[in-house]
Amino acid sequence: MNYQFNWSVLWSGQSGGWLLHGLLLTLAISVLAWVLAAVLGIVSGAMRTVPWKPLRVIATFYVEFFRNVPFLVWMFFWYFGVPPLLPRVVQDWLFNHSAEFWAGMFALGVYHGARMSEIIRAGILSIPRTQFEAAVAMGLTTFQVYRLIIVPIALRLIVPPATNDSLNLLKNSSVALTISVAELTFQARQVETYTAKAIEALTAGTVIYLVLCLGIAAIMTRVERRFAIPGLIARGG
Amino acid sequence: MKRILAVVVALAVALSLTPPVGAQQDTMAKIKESGVLTIGTRTGSPPFAYINKDNQWVGFSIDLVEQLVKPAVEKEVGRAVKVEKKESTPPTRIPLLSANSVDLIAGTMTDTPQRREVVDFSLTFFYTGAQFLVKKGSPIKGVNDIAGKRIASQQASTNAKIIRERYPQAQLREFPDQPAAFQALLQGQVDAFTNDGIQLAGLKAKAPNPAEWEIVGDFYSEEPYGMAMRKGDARLKAAVDGGLKNGFESGKYFEIYEKWFGPKGELPYPLTATVKAYLLKQIGK
Repeated sequence: MNYQFNWSVLWSGQSGGWLLHGLLLTLAISVLAWVLAAVLGIVSGAMRTVPWKPLRVIATFYVEFFRNVPFLVWMFFWYFGVPPLLPRVVQDWLFNHSAEFWAGMFALGVYHGARMSEIIRAGILSIPRTQFEAAVAMGLTTFQVYRLIIVPIALRLIVPPATNDSLNLLKNSSVALTISVAELTFQARQVETYTAKAIEALTAGTVIYLVLCLGIAAIMTRVERRFAIPGLIARGG
Repeated sequence: MKRILAVVVALAVALSLTPPVGAQQDTMAKIKESGVLTIGTRTGSPPFAYINKDNQWVGFSIDLVEQLVKPAVEKEVGRAVKVEKKESTPPTRIPLLSANSVDLIAGTMTDTPQRREVVDFSLTFFYTGAQFLVKKGSPIKGVNDIAGKRIASQQASTNAKIIRERYPQAQLREFPDQPAAFQALLQGQVDAFTNDGIQLAGLKAKAPNPAEWEIVGDFYSEEPYGMAMRKGDARLKAAVDGGLKNGFESGKYFEIYEKWFGPKGELPYPLTATVKAYLLKQIGK
């Protein structure tokens, strides 16, 4: 019953290539989803604070709906739930053109957009009300105030929590394997299937995620230093 | 509040008492001590192992363990043994076994040379092969018609591996479990679902409209099902093989087969002469 370690399974045969493909797919789906999440998050986060109720209601509905649905269910919804609503021809075209990837990407982006939205809202709410008032007094429209002053300041304030959620997004991309997206976790398990070396294969997956996340965190720490607003955010270290 | 706290503390204590992963121990000695044989089996693979309408965990593989393997193990350890069932799926079953979470995998696991490098297999207790489940009238009639078609398979299964290696022209889609792959077939995300013929027969029987679906193609792979144990678990293997051998000899195995796969069984799937000969050849008959 002694477990025989055999780390060479990770670079012999096709394992290395599979892990690399998985890594690239994980990065592709995460980057696209992150862009979607950032756009949705900024727009809906700002909308939740504007002085016009209908916009606030729409944004609140979006956030409360998506952050209260389990991510896995939501992933299945995009892959199994949405296509039957489309015409058969469109469905066939989609299914032949990586519908899995796009369903996974949208699920991930829209879900994390709702979480990003709360972070942005928190950032906006932490800006003194007087900034808004001063901008309006200078003759800017509400839209201009948000575009030129409120959102840029908020974005500089929320780097730490946004980093946190970006890392979650990257890791959640692994759920896409349930709808047949061959990302990193999928490939790590494939290596395990072929070599029957579970510890080695899953360790490789773990290490790759860890390196990715630590890399992102390190970059974001620099971004945070670079963009911190003196006086508004206390600097540690 | 106090009660919740008590439960949490109890759980924490229970967890801390669980033997550490990878602890070395002879399985038979462990069974003798605890009186429990822990098997890893399936919850959604009728008729091998599944949760039935009355919420009971039953099936052909489970019956084989209860009626053939359990008596053999009991005889070996000299005490009554209880069979405890845990869920295991193709991707989790070998890790569960190597982590000592289960002692025996009895579900729908194919005995392959590759897997034999990490686990030991019992005698073959069922024999099937990979085919395709398609909508009636589909142009797919077998493995030679799948080029360019979207084919669903189960992640980590031997069928997925064969398709990937030998039929790269097919668009392979891999799902974590049968229900997801079957759902994809029902909705048209894929053109066919490939799996062991017997499993497809089970899915077809449970489909909302069984007559709409058909199972096509010759076996393009051989799938002898075995029960898996940790490598070098010689005493357990001897007991499991002994139990199965007894079943083949006494005819008890064929009674259990009849119960699940006979004309009145959960899933009619007659034992062909070839398969019967294959099974009996293992015990020198």
